[in-house]
Amino acid sequence: MTTVSTWRWPTPDGRPPLPLLAGMTVLLAMLWLTAPVVEVDFVRLAGSFGKMIDFAAQMFVAPDWAYVPQLLAKMLETIEMTLLGTAIAIVISLPMGILAARNATPHVAVYRVTRDLLSLMRALPELVWALVFVSAVGLGPLPGVMALAFVTVGFMGKFFAESIEVVDNKAVEGVRAHGAGWLQVRLFAMLPQALPDFVGTVMYILDHNLRAAAILGLVGAGGIGYDLVMSMRLFQYERLLLIALAIYLVVTVLDRASDRLRSRIIHGKVL
Amino acid sequence: MSAISVQALTKRYPNGFLALKGVDAEIKTGSFTVVLGPSGAGKSTLLRLMNGLETPSTGSISIGGQTLDGKQLRSIRAKVAMVFQQFNLVDRLSVITNVLTGRLAHRSWVGSVFYLFRKDDMGIAQEALTRVALLDKAWSRADKLSGGQQQRVGIARALAQRPEVILADEPVASLDPVSSEEIMALLREICDRDGITVVVNLHQVELARRFADRIIGMNSGEIVFDGTPTEMTQSVLRTIYQREGIEDDNSLDMALAYA
Amino acid sequence: MKLVDTTPSAVPAATLPPKPRNPLPIWVAATLAILWLIIIDLDISFEVLAYGVADMGEYFSRYGQPDFSDLSRYLALMGVTLATALWGTTLALVVAFFLAPLAARNFAPNPIAYRLARETLNFMRAMPDLLLALIFVSALGLGPLPGALALGVHTAGFLGKFFAESLERIDNGVCEGVASTGANFPQMVMYAGWPSILREALGYVLYILDRNVRMASVLGLVGAGGIGLALHDTLRLFEYGQSAALILVILATILIIDYASAWLRRRLG
Repeated sequence: MTTVSTWRWPTPDGRPPLPLLAGMTVLLAMLWLTAPVVEVDFVRLAGSFGKMIDFAAQMFVAPDWAYVPQLLAKMLETIEMTLLGTAIAIVISLPMGILAARNATPHVAVYRVTRDLLSLMRALPELVWALVFVSAVGLGPLPGVMALAFVTVGFMGKFFAESIEVVDNKAVEGVRAHGAGWLQVRLFAMLPQALPDFVGTVMYILDHNLRAAAILGLVGAGGIGYDLVMSMRLFQYERLLLIALAIYLVVTVLDRASDRLRSRIIHGKVL
Repeated sequence: MSAISVQALTKRYPNGFLALKGVDAEIKTGSFTVVLGPSGAGKSTLLRLMNGLETPSTGSISIGGQTLDGKQLRSIRAKVAMVFQQFNLVDRLSVITNVLTGRLAHRSWVGSVFYLFRKDDMGIAQEALTRVALLDKAWSRADKLSGGQQQRVGIARALAQRPEVILADEPVASLDPVSSEEIMALLREICDRDGITVVVNLHQVELARRFADRIIGMNSGEIVFDGTPTEMTQSVLRTIYQREGIEDDNSLDMALAYA
Repeated sequence: MKLVDTTPSAVPAATLPPKPRNPLPIWVAATLAILWLIIIDLDISFEVLAYGVADMGEYFSRYGQPDFSDLSRYLALMGVTLATALWGTTLALVVAFFLAPLAARNFAPNPIAYRLARETLNFMRAMPDLLLALIFVSALGLGPLPGALALGVHTAGFLGKFFAESLERIDNGVCEGVASTGANFPQMVMYAGWPSILREALGYVLYILDRNVRMASVLGLVGAGGIGLALHDTLRLFEYGQSAALILVILATILIIDYASAWLRRRLG
């Protein structure tokens, strides 16, 4: 074996394991093939660094303080859209979750249909639904709230359904044995067991929806998105800086709060 | 020059607990020392301090004349191998890769980051595995082995380091009596044949008596006995295992009657 | 001799500790109050909604006849979108691979590196990809490349955080085992870090890929290539047939990617 190089992998044949090699080859091949499609051009990228530095420099101008009231109003609107959309979604997804859970649904056909429906609801990004709803009910925060709620129901419905499907059957049988009705069994035996995961998931959804809400304004569905895009298009960097900062702050605050809440739950202090 | 030299060592943990209250010891090269004592006596802390896994609050440690401090950590850890109670292998990696981690400090890191090893490193790993009689399991995943086998891999990893010192922190606490016997015998054999200094933490008095050249008894962060197994009488054992604040210790008496 | 001692004890039975206050009703009431205020502030008119819902039936029926005449163009655009998502995810993976160990408390070589890495990842996560796409478009011009970059940078923040959190959950013993041999930072990461979280990490990557396919289809709205722009145009021109076709193409693709990634995750786990 002296012709083999002195370096070896810790495998029987001294070469990297096959799955790893295969995976890497497939990935690199796909990247190579799609490079022209994505117009990947490292030369162009390198050349554009100058432009990006310029851009960054331009961002650091004196902020447009007169814009702050409108900024705050729009940010508040964004946050409100997030909260309302998520709340509505949670309410709707509770019954949907029951219908979409194999052990709680009244009929197998209902289960199938609901599952597929939920899958469809969460398949498209919020922005696409927002586009559709805007052309249905007009501009403003309403289509934004609807779009957020729609996609969130798709996600939460599935989450509830899955939580209900893994509940401990003993509790369910216990409640049933005492003569509880159909709805009572679901309310008192199934749902409470799904609850602890619920809070963590809600925090995650809020986090996601806030980011989504921030861009829905792009299509006229309320929130800061419209101002964001407009200030870019009109080169109003003194506003753009404030908007970016505001979004960054709000998202970060929510992020930290959600982290802290999640670690408190894990350590058993809440619920 | 002793293999390990410990002076006025104290260790206070961030939560305020004083684990070591001033320990002095010299461990001779090539000796087999057992540290004996109840839980919370500070045995683990002492060993972990010798490997740099903990830093002392006051006092100093030197290995083979080299003082242990932050900058020398890597080179000292290369010389001092550790065997753990929970084996501490990387579950998903193969047995041989786990053993090869023992070679990580001996080479520049460039190749190892890509899982590339030189032939002589592979040779050393093979040798170590043969020594612990696990060569046939070289390509198995580490977590597919039994407890005793995993500990042998841990020892192989230690051997692969070609260390001057092997520290074993309760190596048999998670093992059945037969595996325990196997592991202790292996450690003793390594000490005798290779001249490697071995320090083992144990709580089983019987094993200590049978395998140690020298026993250090600890209680509540202090050394209360330092001598040969024959010098370890019943009253010495009582001193080592006495519990604070309990005057008439029934459990202690019963345990010592059967020790 | 009695087997069970039933004589009443000399010590009186202890009284129950005071019942802990149940905060739940307060939380529920507060939440409802806030939601009500929001509805008022957003000026959400239930009338508009009710009319809208009534209209919605009629509205959605306009999408009933998808017009697939331009299907080949749509599929080509979808292909661009998928490629954009692939490149974006790969970029995110590369960046996260290097930043995540620095952002994990049990691997970071010093507190400063840890803080810096964490904050960088947070920053990348907080910037909406749309904003990043806008910036990159202004620097690179229109096309899918700025979209891929925007996705890459933004999701690097997510992936990095997921990886770092997984790394922090690794059993301390495993890390000590490798550390005790004298391994340095890169060696620790490669031997104790990544092997221990490989399955989780792959799951995260698939999740992010999935997410990037969705976002890529939307980034076209700001000129970052792909199918989003086509949808925007057709909706603006009220061409419901073509919009329906586009939505179906996007939908089908996302569902396929969903299935594929769920299948892959099942095979790994």
